Formats: sequence, C-alpha cells, structure tokens
Amino acid sequence: MSGALAQRGRLAARLPGGALIALLLALIAWEAIARLTAQSFFIAAPSAIVAHMTDHAGLLWRAFAVTLWAAVRGFVWGNLAGVLMALLVVLLPRAERLVATLALLVFCLPLVATGPILRVLFGPGEGPQVTLAALAVYYTTFLPVLVGLRAAPQGWFDLVRSYGRGRMVALREVRLPAALPYLVAGLQIAAPAAFLGAMVGEFTGAERGLGVLTVRALRALDLPATWSIAVIASAVSVLAFAAVGWAGRRLDLAPPQVLLASPVEARQSRWRGPGEALLALVVTLALWKGAMELFALPRFFAKRPEDVWAYMVSGPGAEAHRAKLLGAMAETLSFTAPGYVAGLAFGAGLAVVLTLAPRAASLTMPVAIALRSIPIVATAPLIVWALGRGAAGTIAVVAVMIFFPTLVACLHGLARTPRAVLDLFEVYAAERWRRMLGAQLPAMLPAFFASARMAIPAAILAVTTAEWLATGRGVGALMATVASTSDYGMLWSAIALIGLVAVIVHGLVGALERWVLSRTNAEQLAR
Amino acid sequence: MPDARRPDIRLTGVSKSFGAPGGEIPAVAPLDLQLAGGSMTALVGPSGCGKSTLLRLIAGLERPSSGEIRIGDETPDDLRKRAALSVAFQDAALLPWRTVAGNVALGRSLARRPRDAGAVSDLINLVGLKGFEARRPAELSGGMRQRAAIARAMASAPELLLLDEPFGALDELTRDRLNAELPALWEAHGATSVLVTHSVAEAVRLADRILVLSPRPARIAADIPVDLPRPRDGVVLASEAFREICGQVSAALRDGQEPSRLAAQ
Repeated sequence: MSGALAQRGRLAARLPGGALIALLLALIAWEAIARLTAQSFFIAAPSAIVAHMTDHAGLLWRAFAVTLWAAVRGFVWGNLAGVLMALLVVLLPRAERLVATLALLVFCLPLVATGPILRVLFGPGEGPQVTLAALAVYYTTFLPVLVGLRAAPQGWFDLVRSYGRGRMVALREVRLPAALPYLVAGLQIAAPAAFLGAMVGEFTGAERGLGVLTVRALRALDLPATWSIAVIASAVSVLAFAAVGWAGRRLDLAPPQVLLASPVEARQSRWRGPGEALLALVVTLALWKGAMELFALPRFFAKRPEDVWAYMVSGPGAEAHRAKLLGAMAETLSFTAPGYVAGLAFGAGLAVVLTLAPRAASLTMPVAIALRSIPIVATAPLIVWALGRGAAGTIAVVAVMIFFPTLVACLHGLARTPRAVLDLFEVYAAERWRRMLGAQLPAMLPAFFASARMAIPAAILAVTTAEWLATGRGVGALMATVASTSDYGMLWSAIALIGLVAVIVHGLVGALERWVLSRTNAEQLAR
Repeated sequence: MPDARRPDIRLTGVSKSFGAPGGEIPAVAPLDLQLAGGSMTALVGPSGCGKSTLLRLIAGLERPSSGEIRIGDETPDDLRKRAALSVAFQDAALLPWRTVAGNVALGRSLARRPRDAGAVSDLINLVGLKGFEARRPAELSGGMRQRAAIARAMASAPELLLLDEPFGALDELTRDRLNAELPALWEAHGATSVLVTHSVAEAVRLADRILVLSPRPARIAADIPVDLPRPRDGVVLASEAFREICGQVSAALRDGQEPSRLAAQ
C-alpha cells in the first residue's frame, strides 16, 4: 500500500507540470521554426509529421511491428548473453580481464561494417537485425550485472560460509538478489538500444521494417518521412526505457543503498602490465581465426587475421590500402576527439550547474532522461542536416551521443557526496562553489570517468553512423562504400583498426582515471 | 563427560598472520587454549587486537597459519559442513531483500534444516520482534536488527554459537536491554558460546570466563573466571564481586596495552 503510494509520488516528482509546459512550448517553437525555415530542408514541422503519419499509418505500423519483433528477440538474446558473461566472470574471476576486453572489443565493432557482413552470413531474413539488436545491448547489461553480482558486503558471504555452504548457494542467496536492481538498470538502457540495433540491421538489405523506410526516406530527402520515423523511434525508446524502469519499481526489490550505485560505474578491466594486453590480443586473433575456420566461412568475405595483415602490410598494394584507411581514420578521429571531449565537458558541466541551481534540475532532468534514450540513427541525419556535412555536424553528433549519459552519471556522482562532508562545509558556512570544489567534484570523479570509458563505444557508434548516413566522409563512409563494392579486405582492416584504437583509448582513459583517482579518491581504487 | 551437543574447544599452538606488502603481519600469536563445553567465554581486548580473527579461526572462516583447532572431536570445517555452528556478525549481516522472518528462516535453510514456520515465529517472539515479521531490515532500528541476527544464529540450533561484537554498534541503553534479555536465550539452549566484545561490563555480565587479549598479535594477557550467580540481575550487578571482577579485567586490559611504551617509561 505505502509502496504504491510512494511510487506514485516518485512518478509525480519525475514528471512535474513544469516539464509538460516546457514540452508544449518546445512543440510550438518547433512548429514556428520549421515554418520559418521551410526552404532549408532540415526541419519538418510537427503538423507535417502528424500528417505524414496519418497518411501512411498502415505502412508505418507494419514496418514498426517487424522492427519491434526483431528488437524484442535481440533484447532477449543479448541480455541473456550479458548476464551469462557476468556470471562466468564471477565464477571464474581470473577470466575477468580477458572477458571484459573481448566484450569491449565486440561492442566497439562498428555497426556499419558488421551489418553487411552479417547480411552475407545470414542471407535474406531477420538474422542480422536480431544479431545487431543483441550486440547493441549485451555490453550495457554485462557491466552493471557484474558490478551488482559483486556489490554484496563480505559479511553476507561469511554468513553463507559459516553454514558450510559453497559458491552456488552464495550465488543464489546473495549475489543474484543483490544484482537484480543492477540488472533492471542495465535492461533499462538496453531496451532503446535493442530497437536501434534492429533498425541498423534493416539498413543492410532487409525487406521490411522501419530501417528500410529510413534508408528510403533519406535517399529521397523526404523530410516529413525521416522525421516521422525519428519521432516513432524516439517515442518507442522513451517508452521502453520508462516501461522497464516501471517494471523494476513494481518488483520493489531494490534496497536503496544498492541502487545508489550508478550502473555505469562498472569496475572495468585494468591493464596490469603488457603481458595481459598481449594475451588479449592473442586470444582475440585466435577466436577470430578459429570461428572462421570452424564454420568454414568462405575466404572471399570472411577475412582471416593473416588476410588483413597481407592486405595492410605485406601483400600487393598494401601501401595504397594503408594510406587510404589511415587517411580516413585520421579524418574520423579529428571529428571524434573534439566531440568526445565536448560531450564529456558539457555533460559534467551541466551536472555541476544543475547541482548548484537545483530548481533548474527538476525541469531539465525529465527531458534529459527522455533524450538519452533517443536512438542516434534517427537523430544523426537530422543533426548533420542542421549543422552541415563539415566538422561541426559530426562533432555535434558525437557530443550529443555522449552528453546525456555523462550528465546523468555525473548528477548521480554529485548526489553521492557523503552527508557528513556536506555538513562539515555547512558548519563553516562555506560558499556553494567552495563546497562544489572541495566536496562534490571529488565525489563526482568516479562517475565521470566511468562514463568517459562507456562513452568510447558510444562515440564510435555515433561517428561511424553519422559518416555513413549523412556526411559521406571518414572511415564510416569508407566502410559503407567498400561493403557495397564487396572490398572485404578493406572492411575487415577497418574493423580491426577501429577495435585496436578503441582498446588503446580505453586503456589511456583508464590510466588517466587511476592517476586522478589515486590522488582524489584513493578508496575507489582499493576495491 | 563430554556432551556431544556442547562440545569443548581446544586450540593447540594456533597462530595467524596475514600477508601484506612488506612482510607477514602477525594477528594471533601461538595460543594454547581450552574452552569448556557449554560455557560462555568472552574475548576482550582493544580494537584491532585480533580477537575477531580468533573468532573467525574458531568458525573456520580463516585458516590458522600454524597449530590445530578441535571442537569436540572435529575440526571447525567439519562443524561448518554439518552446519553445527553459527555466527552472529558485528554488522548483523541481514539480507536487505528478505523480511525479518525471511532472514531468520534463512538460518534454517542455509543449515539444511526443514522449513518450520512455527520454530521461526517462536524465535522471533523470543527475541522480542513479534509484529515485525514482515518488515525489511532497512525499516528496523539497530537493536532490532541485532535481535533478528541473533534469532537467525539460533535458528539452526547450533552446538557452537559465535558472537562477533553483536552489540558493538548499539547505543548504551539498547545494549543494556539486550544484555539483560539474551542470556536466558542461550542458557536455555546450552550451546558452547564465544563472545567477542570490547565492553568490560558486558563481558563480566554475560560470560563464565573472560580472556583478556593483548594488542596485535593477540596473546592471552589474563584469564579471569567469572564466578557470579545466574541470572545476573540487578542485585548481582550491584554487588562488590561484580565490580571487583570488572576492576580485574580493566586492570588486565591496561597492563596488556602497549607494553613497549610502558617499559620505556
């Protein structure tokens, strides 16, 4: 009874009347701007979108149902894989670094490249959509569930041991219940991601679905159609995010002290010496090669590691291949790096501002939570249309993709400042900014760095998607081109290079994190 | 005349040290010790003296670096494997997603005892939590949580009951109430019990025998029998004998403290 009341209270707190008014005002402004800029072809007015949706209701509905079904299956498989991987790591702690690195690598595989390869593998049908939806969700479930499985204090394990019971009982009685809130948090992020993955899967030669309609609308520069699909995809994402959150609250399983931990604050693999890096490299290459030989995939499109080596280093034309790929990669990185830094800086900066001015937060947070679940596939072309095909557009796409998760994580971190520390500053009547610098910012740092690590795959996804769908530049466009011309040597080389860059950047961010936290939050590293 | 249900505890040359960067840190010096079956022994010492480590050694949660521990004819592991011992932990260690009744019932199910709702509710009544069966730990006060933890420890009807500063985090009033109420519980039950505490009055009030430990590595600085009648009601607590034993324990604690600095003076 009281639980239900509290829930309603929480819902009301999350959707204040102010937000509804803000939404209404935004709609009016949107309509006005769209009408004013009608010649520039990038904003469709709400009225035009509604008109398009009603005119094509049947078509959109059928496409939506197809995509949703693929997303649901991918959601189930991907989350199952994420949970099983987390269980594997908990039961086999020595495998953690290896599993975490491989998981990161696979998560960093650019959808632009994996889509066409999966299409060749599966042939026509829904295989690629379901696979990509699963690939889009397993990592964001794996990390929080792993944290959750370990979130229990030592005393609970001692309790189980004191009755002579083993690891399986500890898993059942302690770890799994402790991980449930973390699983819900992971599923919440996964729900919109699965829909996005399914749509991307449909870009590569599917017969039906919202992704197919998107490609058609983009090619025809059909503004109302593109915006309609963006609106539908966004609405589905927000609803899925909210629905999983609601289901989690209904279960009423979350002890508050466990929920305090943000899902992105995952303890990640940390490179302890080059030996482990080498091991990860060897295992990656072995898995890559082994899978292809095991399934006897044709060499024509399933390139082995040695094929990539020949293509890039030792074979004929290697120098030209290298120049082409490295040139595209350099261009992509020149867009990604500023977007990555800007997204993190704006996210953390706004979190600080909102904490200093808490009243603004109640208005902004519902919008931010809604926006963070909007799929990049839907928004990337719109942003690029708005800001142009040059650097600004791509940088903005990357920054937007990173901005919202960072904001949410940093707000979480700021809110975790210990009460006693805040009281101390209160006792000395310290100014807000002094309290921020001395107490709250250090408390925010772990969350900030966790989101900086999580932002790496997100940045890769954003930049390759934007280059592929909108700007036609950089490595994203290169992969799209070579996929359509069946130049699989270049495609696999690009995938390998992106994976390598992702792991290196991840290692650098991790090293920076350890360096900073060892000076500000030493207790965070001890765990 | 050993009673299988009230095993005695024998430690022979038991020591424990922990590996640390820069060498092993000794936590428990080699100890020889015999605790009578069915008795309540209190381990008293300053914070960090290794008394909890000693308790964990007896529970089989830590392995001794040398020496042997026998409980009756068995090792601590044997006892643990047949769920014949239980521990009441310092921080209660209640599972937050289980209700009070669920946590107490866990003491039975972890010990592979059949479900018995009646026994669980009897125990809850006994520790004074009637009416709170359906509450979660987060809704309870610290004292109520410790009551629930003790009920859980009793739920498996252990032969050996280990209490690791179970009242350490409680305020003086609550602690006093529990000290007054709970002896009846384990007296009725009759398990061999070991209590770790840093409160002198609590030790004298509850125990048959007090071992005062010196700071790390733990050594036995004094072995003081408590020959006070039970139940130890207000009359006993106000008696000269009670105060005298308290004085002995306090003196032993002082003497055991930082011997090197005393010697230097």
